[in-house]
Order: sequence, then C-alpha cells, then structure tokens
Amino acid sequence: MATLATLDADGSIAFPRLQELLDMTAGNLSTHLRKLEEAEYVSQEKAFRGRTPVTFVATTKNGRRAFEDYMEQLRTLLGGAS
Amino acid sequence: MTIHDTGDEPLDPAAMLALSRQQQAKVNTTYAKPMVAMLASWAIAWGVGFLVLWSGIPENNSPVFVPQPAATIIFALLIVAASVTCAVLGIRMNRGIRGSSNYAGAVYGMTWSIASFGAAAIGVALLRAGMSSELAGLFFPAIYSLVVGIIYLAGAAIWRDKGQLILGIWIIAVGSIAPFFGYPGNFLLMSILGGGGFAVGAIAIAVSLASTRQRVARG
Repeated sequence: MATLATLDADGSIAFPRLQELLDMTAGNLSTHLRKLEEAEYVSQEKAFRGRTPVTFVATTKNGRRAFEDYMEQLRTLLGGAS
Repeated sequence: MTIHDTGDEPLDPAAMLALSRQQQAKVNTTYAKPMVAMLASWAIAWGVGFLVLWSGIPENNSPVFVPQPAATIIFALLIVAASVTCAVLGIRMNRGIRGSSNYAGAVYGMTWSIASFGAAAIGVALLRAGMSSELAGLFFPAIYSLVVGIIYLAGAAIWRDKGQLILGIWIIAVGSIAPFFGYPGNFLLMSILGGGGFAVGAIAIAVSLASTRQRVARG
C-alpha cells in the first residue's frame, strides 16, 4: 500500500511495474493484491497495451483513507518518530 | 536494518512503519536516480561542449586547440546525446503509470522540443537579418539558457521540486550574465558556471539518494 499511496489520486500502475518496484514475485504480489482487493482497498483493471493484456492497479478512496489512518496510528503509537 | 515482508506473519508497529518508509523511499529513489544521469549528461554537454567551442578560437590561447568546425560538431553531438539521454530516461521513468500526471509529463516533455525549435527559428531569422557570427555566439547560448531555465522552473512548479527551482534560476542567471562577458568569453562562463551548475545538481541528488539508502537501511 505504501508504494501505491505514492500515485496520484486518479493514478494507477501496471502490475509488472509494481512488481519491479516492490521486488516481489508475481505470485506473491498477486496474493497480496487479492487480499487488498477483497478488503476494497485496491482495484485492478485489465487493459490492453496493443495486443498485450496488462493489469493496472490503483488504490480506492477507502484504501487511501485506511492507509493514511493506519500510518497516523503507527506514528502516534511510536511517539511521532519520523 | 532493511525490512522484508516475507509473508503473512504480522510485523510489529515499528517494523510496519519502517517497511512503509522503505517502500516509499524506493519509489522516490526510482524517480531520483535517472535525474542524476540526466543532469550529469547536461553537465558534460555544457561543460565540455562550451569549453571546446571556446578552445576553437585561436586568440584564446587555449592549451588544447580544437579547430572550429570540429568544435562545433563536437558541441552539437554532445547536446544531441544529452537530449536523447533525457528523452529516453524521462519516458522510462513514467512507464507503467497512468493518471493525470501523464498529461503534465507529456506536456513537459513536448515543451523541450517546441521551445528549442522556437529558439532556433528566432536565431536563424536573426542570422538571415544580418546578425554576425559573433553576435550569434552570444545569442544562442543566452536564449537556450533562458529556455532551459524557464522549463526547469515550470518543472519546479508542477512537481514542487526545489532542486529544479534552484537549477532553473541558476541557469537563467548564468545565461543572462554571460553575454556581458562578450564573445567568446561567454563560452568559458557557460562551460564553468553552466556545466558546473548541472554537475552540482547531479552530485546533490546522488548524495541525497545515498543518504536515503543509509537511513532506510538503519530502519
């Protein structure tokens, strides 16, 4: 979620690029994204780049709010350490 | 300590915060790293290019003399190489990303070409109207410094980037002052201060990246 949170509010990122940024295997990333999608924190959209199918991943409004709230809680819990 | 989220085991709060920061730092690094190469390529293009142009004028008694036709070709090739480097790296930086930032990025990219052609057209028109080659030697570096500086300022506004703000102001200042040194002294100024400005920018980003990596590694 931290990586996805760096996108613009209307932004999305292609699955391969996200995998590269997170240095994860495709399977591991898919598993994580499925859980986040079930929680309605991210959305996945299948598109085409030419004839090649590509999945774009974006945060939902709920997802961004939940992530910001979570980060705020962590910072408060840890005494505002930056 | 670098945190790796290896599975479903819950991490403690400190580890979670460190992991988030690590991931966000990774994204920032991904966008900052190409900037080092971009600025370094302009540092070489301006630093070496303008120096070679200056050295091609015999009256300057340069320790290394490069005949003018060759100096002009070398300068042009360095500028083209830096332009291509920036175009390729700029396109690669944003691969796989969709959103409103694409439009800003595309317009920013196009601005370089449009403004450069515009400046060239003005210069050619002035040459045809009788501008001497000496005046052209003052005009072209100055106009391109203005173009480059203004585009960096636009980038600073779009991405709230203080680095581009500082660099843009510096380049405009150098390009505006250089003509007062006359031809061909302006070439030497552009090489040292213009090329030097880009070099300082590249080094500053590289140092910042190294510092970020160390901070993330410490957790």
